[in-house]
Amino acid sequence: MGKINKKIKKTLNMYPVVSNQPHYPSGYDGRSTPKRRKQLAEFISDDGTFLPKSVLHEDLDLGLLEFVKDRLRITVNGKAISFVDQILTLQRWAEFADTWSFSDKDLNPKIPFLVVVRQPDVQYGTNPALIYTIPDRRTFHYSKVPTWDGQRKGMDLYKIPQPVPIDITYDLKIVCNRMRELNLFNKVIMQTFTSRQAYTFVKGHYIPIVLTNISDESQMSDLEKRKFYSQNYTLQLQGFLIDEEEFIVTPAITRKIALFEVGTKTRKKQMEPVGDNDGNFVENIIFTLATGLSITKTFEYDATIQILELKEIASYTISVNGTNLSNGIEQFYITNGDVVVFTVCCLTVDSGYPKTLVLGTHLA
Amino acid sequence: MSDKRVPITRVNKFFGSEDFKLQESLGMEYLHGNLNFTLVLFSVDISKTKTDRVYGEAAPEEIRFYPPVEFKALVNIAGPSNDSYANGIMRYVENGTLTLGVYIKHLKELNIDIKYGDYIGYAETEDMTRYFTVANDGKITSDNAHTIVGYKGFYRTIVCVPTSEDEFNGI
Repeated sequence: MGKINKKIKKTLNMYPVVSNQPHYPSGYDGRSTPKRRKQLAEFISDDGTFLPKSVLHEDLDLGLLEFVKDRLRITVNGKAISFVDQILTLQRWAEFADTWSFSDKDLNPKIPFLVVVRQPDVQYGTNPALIYTIPDRRTFHYSKVPTWDGQRKGMDLYKIPQPVPIDITYDLKIVCNRMRELNLFNKVIMQTFTSRQAYTFVKGHYIPIVLTNISDESQMSDLEKRKFYSQNYTLQLQGFLIDEEEFIVTPAITRKIALFEVGTKTRKKQMEPVGDNDGNFVENIIFTLATGLSITKTFEYDATIQILELKEIASYTISVNGTNLSNGIEQFYITNGDVVVFTVCCLTVDSGYPKTLVLGTHLA
Repeated sequence: MSDKRVPITRVNKFFGSEDFKLQESLGMEYLHGNLNFTLVLFSVDISKTKTDRVYGEAAPEEIRFYPPVEFKALVNIAGPSNDSYANGIMRYVENGTLTLGVYIKHLKELNIDIKYGDYIGYAETEDMTRYFTVANDGKITSDNAHTIVGYKGFYRTIVCVPTSEDEFNGI
């Protein structure tokens, strides 16, 4: 057996700090929920319940239309190019109703214009983040939501299944009379899809759209027909379906009895020496299912208490001897015998890490 | 057209220039006097039209025209086509081709020429004029059909296709 190389790392840091990331100004510690992830969760639950809203075919279609309207619409001769702001289907009157606003005297669509035609078949998705990972529509924990029935505090457990990946293919067509208009539109498309994909925003979710093909269907070869350019940009939207009908809300724990068995044998444990702390120390107040979202603590010393850090906690309130302090107070003074109640509100998305209020104490 | 003039002596045993002029005048009398189909020629002034340097394209407002001229012709409009821009969606229906038979002598009298790319207006009703663009100006009239017994070409067949409002919509 040779000697172990001293350079080999013997311990692994379970909470590495990642620096130089804009969303984690003080470095990502691996435990707290990153700000960006919180923001994304807020997008999803914005203006609604604790659960995400359904994302179905029509939502994705609308997302693509919004994407084309906002990102790809060009201006020709100072006017925005005409755009059919709906997915055209086989109903003839609907097609006319959607195009009459830019039709000529024969009620034909007036050139130039953009139109999106959805291919009717929707395929199982190819987004690698979602494809074939969890079978049988099993539901998973999404969040725990506190409840109060007037007498007892409790929790509801919200569970949802994995979203179903789908691919929808759209033909985005430009019909125009001039090469300059084709160039302009092609430039916008190429700039938008320069990284292969672009994103639309559907009910708080970023949905990728991939440019898969460009083809030309221009009417040029038949000399005795009207000539026009028609180009087809095939876009594949790699979306997913979230159906509210599949969500499950079940009651979780409403009451808990904690029993402890204590040994009768007594044996004096030798006290470990305590180092000098010059009157300053840090204390964690941990909220668990057993303690609930409120903890009462009686202080046996005079001190200045400072709130140093919130872990997995959205906000908190503090009352001293029944008197509420102002919300979000960061420092307060207590004296011997004061009864302090710490009450917290949790984040919408539960990461599973303990909810902790970190107090810094400076003894008077 | 060459300045050198050559007498045409073919089929002169039974058909000569006098006969040709007679036939021509009879036809013109029938076409202009009896049928009286009137169209308007918007001849493009190529020298004054502003075009793109690379593609030679022009926006509708950049095209310049000579003064419009009325002329007479035999009009034949094909049936309208029912088509679509996107595989059955974005349907449009538009006129078939407009085929004109126009006497060469008539064009000379008016001192006009109809060339590839010119626009032609045809008043379909009192309040609607349809516009076409010339897709075949029929300048070659050597075939038998355009002559009288092979003597000389006397009319041109001009094929026009519908034009969109984005291209031309009258001036």
